[in-house]
Amino acid sequence: MLEVRNLNAAYGQTRVLEGVDLTVAAGEFVVVIGPNGHGKTTLLRTISGLVPTTAGEITFDGERIDGERPERIAMRGLVHIPQGDLPFVDMTVEENLVLGAFPADAWRIRAERLERVYGIFPLLADRRSNRARTLSGGERRMLALGRGLMREAKLLMIDEPSLGLAPVIVNEVYQHIEQIVATGITLLLVEENFSHVQTFDARVLLLESGRVVREGLVGDLLADEIVMATYLGT
Amino acid sequence: MSAFLQAVVSGLVTGSIYAVMTVGMTLIYGTLRTLNMTQGSMVMIGGYVAWMVFDGLGWGPILGGVAAAVVGFAFGVAIQQAAIRPLIGRRGVDFEMTAFISTFAVAIVLSNVALRIYGARSKAVPPVIHGRLHLLEGISVSWHSLVMAGIAVGTLLALGGFLSKTRYGLAISAVAQQLDAARLMGIPAQRVYNLTMGVSSALAAIAGVLLASVFFVSPNAGDLPLLKALIVAIFGGLGSVRGTILAAYIIGLAEALVSLYFGVKWSLPLLFLSIMIVMLVRPTGLLGKPEEARL
Repeated sequence: MLEVRNLNAAYGQTRVLEGVDLTVAAGEFVVVIGPNGHGKTTLLRTISGLVPTTAGEITFDGERIDGERPERIAMRGLVHIPQGDLPFVDMTVEENLVLGAFPADAWRIRAERLERVYGIFPLLADRRSNRARTLSGGERRMLALGRGLMREAKLLMIDEPSLGLAPVIVNEVYQHIEQIVATGITLLLVEENFSHVQTFDARVLLLESGRVVREGLVGDLLADEIVMATYLGT
Repeated sequence: MSAFLQAVVSGLVTGSIYAVMTVGMTLIYGTLRTLNMTQGSMVMIGGYVAWMVFDGLGWGPILGGVAAAVVGFAFGVAIQQAAIRPLIGRRGVDFEMTAFISTFAVAIVLSNVALRIYGARSKAVPPVIHGRLHLLEGISVSWHSLVMAGIAVGTLLALGGFLSKTRYGLAISAVAQQLDAARLMGIPAQRVYNLTMGVSSALAAIAGVLLASVFFVSPNAGDLPLLKALIVAIFGGLGSVRGTILAAYIIGLAEALVSLYFGVKWSLPLLFLSIMIVMLVRPTGLLGKPEEARL
């Protein structure tokens, strides 16, 4: 579904990604783990076209997408739930969700989709006419997830769903992610903390200083003492 | 007392037209983050459209408004493509300032083109309907003003519905509030910019039709409206649609009352004075919002 080869990206003179290779097969669940400031968010933003590539290739669903505008890439069926949620703060929860169904085919069935998202996140249904700026951090995260589920994704990318949330809320968010994983969707997830994903049956890439330094199934990495010492402190 | 009420009625009529004229400026500031200096030119162009269709074709005000809206929309899209788009995302370029200057340049070109085509002599546009409606003893309003206010309010309501209910209307607010998130949802930024410039210019052109019979239509007929629109937009809090409409009515009323009690010549100076005070007390304007929250 997604094939990234020798991807390089930079902010001005600062190189952030230095030759990342990554593939996500249809139906696969891939997690990118790495410390903050090592390029995880940039990787997702480069894939979705918000950050230009300086070298390398990105192929999505069989076609090259590097250099395309983000809105074109989104229309191909790539859903990116960004870091910081980026809600439309002065719009209501419902307006935020409805905008998630912007592509014409999703727009036609937005009422149906809305019901489904409200089914998954009853909390959003309660707050549907509240402005997004009045939501708590946890509610904003649910809104961002819900907005991402408003249209059909060939690939769903979620950027650090635990960021900035209290542990109790993080658990709640991950329960929702389990539900999403259970639908069999193709999922690329970025997370700083290995412990959130260790119960999943996923393939993991470790990203350090803009490079993939290790790759393996969750079980393999759990068995690796050095990795565990670095990422779980055990 | 009746003079006061008379001034209130005419202030409300003027306010409605100011709102139509300025709300586009707000939409553009919200989405593109620049002041569109061609807003006044569109009022001028709307005036010429009114003159041509009323005088030449004998159309009524509603058809005239529609014609002006279509012409204004086309101009708006063309200006966005030619004078704004090339400046977006340039490295090391202050977009807000360069786009402000570039639209100002377009405004100067447009008024000179109008001068070339139509000449310097002002065109009088007759009121579309004669007679007055007597509301109370001593208070009356011309039917013409009522029709104009009706069209203005109808236009604002239609705009409100468009922005809050339709797919592309919501997309305008989305782009204004969170550009990255909007693009990640597939909302095409350039198309939204075109649409915003088109709609805003169409609104200003409609205001031009409404103002045409109050002021004479001339190549610089847009200068004063541009100035007023800037005052209203800044007073309302740049980027806030509700604030703009509220500010338009306040300024319309203030102007009418100042003209009544102090004379017409004081209306602009007092307007500037009050805007200076507002800026000192509340730099973000009436309903101004923080940077991340627009429209």
